[in-house]
Amino acid sequence: MKGILRSMATTLSTFARKPVTREYPETHRELPERDRAFPVLLWDAEVTEPFCTGCHACERACPVECMTVLMKDNPAHKSVGGESSRRKIIDKFWIDYGRCMRCNICVEVCNFGAISMNNTWSGHEQSAYDRAELVQDLPMLLAASRSGELKPWVNE
Amino acid sequence: MIETLFGLPVGFDAAIRLLIVVGVMTVVVMALIYLERKVLARFQQRLGPTRTGPMGLLQSVADALKLIAKEDVRPKNADAWVFELAPFLVFVPTFLGFVAVPFAIAWNVRELELGLLYVLAVSSVNIVGWVMAGWGSDNRYAILGALRAVAQSISYELPLVLAMISVAMVANSLNLVEIVRGQASVPNIVWQPLPALLFFICLLAEMNRPPFDAPVGESEVVGGPYVEYSGIRWSMFFLGEYASMFIMSLLGAAVFLGGGAWPLGEELGVPWQIALTVVKAGAIIFLMFWTRASFPRLRVDQMMSFSWKILLPASIAQILVNGAILVYQLPSGLEHTLLAVFSAAGVVSVYSAINRSVATPRPRPLVLAQRSEAVR
Repeated sequence: MKGILRSMATTLSTFARKPVTREYPETHRELPERDRAFPVLLWDAEVTEPFCTGCHACERACPVECMTVLMKDNPAHKSVGGESSRRKIIDKFWIDYGRCMRCNICVEVCNFGAISMNNTWSGHEQSAYDRAELVQDLPMLLAASRSGELKPWVNE
Repeated sequence: MIETLFGLPVGFDAAIRLLIVVGVMTVVVMALIYLERKVLARFQQRLGPTRTGPMGLLQSVADALKLIAKEDVRPKNADAWVFELAPFLVFVPTFLGFVAVPFAIAWNVRELELGLLYVLAVSSVNIVGWVMAGWGSDNRYAILGALRAVAQSISYELPLVLAMISVAMVANSLNLVEIVRGQASVPNIVWQPLPALLFFICLLAEMNRPPFDAPVGESEVVGGPYVEYSGIRWSMFFLGEYASMFIMSLLGAAVFLGGGAWPLGEELGVPWQIALTVVKAGAIIFLMFWTRASFPRLRVDQMMSFSWKILLPASIAQILVNGAILVYQLPSGLEHTLLAVFSAAGVVSVYSAINRSVATPRPRPLVLAQRSEAVR
């Protein structure tokens, strides 16, 4: 078999193969290990509060200044009858995902393992109609960790 | 007295038949466009349209709506009448061919004694529309594409008609219904494989399908005659193209593959015959998609010499051989065996000729050779 017939056989063999297209919004390709999307805050499930103490380390280290952190006294600290050992805790936290460049420095500098890079597809897909919608507040930042959708190796 | 469909006066009857034809063809064309996109996508390991409706089934409807809603632009310098009329001249002759094509035995719009000749004659009228489109657009690409289309259509018309004549010699009729009836036991492609091959190749060229799409090649003449067309007029060109694809495949199914008669016989009833014919036509259409996915476009000079140097001699030789065999009135078995053997030999020689010409690098045109020599 040669020439024209061979070229037709080639195309037919392609025809028999499975299409390689992934229908993107419905089907995501597998994320690679150590993938990192945008930073999120982690939730301490044992004492039901964020790990973050609001120490400003990440805020100061952030090269693009996308973070704003406010600290407060922990109302659930042991001294006031609670069960938490954190004297200070995060009050308000904003990250502007429109500025963040996913450099991972905030994760590196955090002394409490309180911030981490989202390792799911929902961490990548942040399209919005308005820039302001890209600014995440504390409940939004904690949501991924609280719901347990993050893959377990997130704070290794 | 002409037999009418629902016992109505002839005028109403004709109008109803026309409406059926136009309605069916529009749906068929939309289905074909969808199928072509899907099949071609699979040939390239893609999915094709998936977003509109389940499995993208409504893609053609969406496209049609978009085209109808689009502005119908006419360039300022265009020849108004010629420009506006050209789509009709592409589209109407194609639909005329529908009159004689048999879906099932005795189930065509009209049974014509010269049906084969009629379909071939009518299907080549649309070239006038192409020239009008090219001329009326007042665009160089358009006229260039139109002239290519004319050259191609004229050169491939000859082998097409001659191939059909050699089949008609064997079938002993030009009436399409008779030709289909004659294939109740064995389809004509067995006795006449070479005309079948020639028919298929010329079909591609007649309809400007790849690999013979130089007249409408986007990368060469940016769409050829339909550069300046938009909206509904452009879609009429497309409608004509796909309608002629369907009609010519039906013709091929009737003439070479036995239409509704082979292999289950006539007494099967009209629905089965129609299904058989459509399946056979579908096979031819799939072959067209397949060739489109397989071969690169021919250059214009290659296209012309392919027709005049390979296809035309082969078709004439087939007619001569057929005549020489049929004139002796041999016993039917021997006669048909001889026809099949000679025609199959013709297929082999045409195929090897094609392969040889593909394998041999063609010398570049002298001007180009001199130019590159000067650069060096």
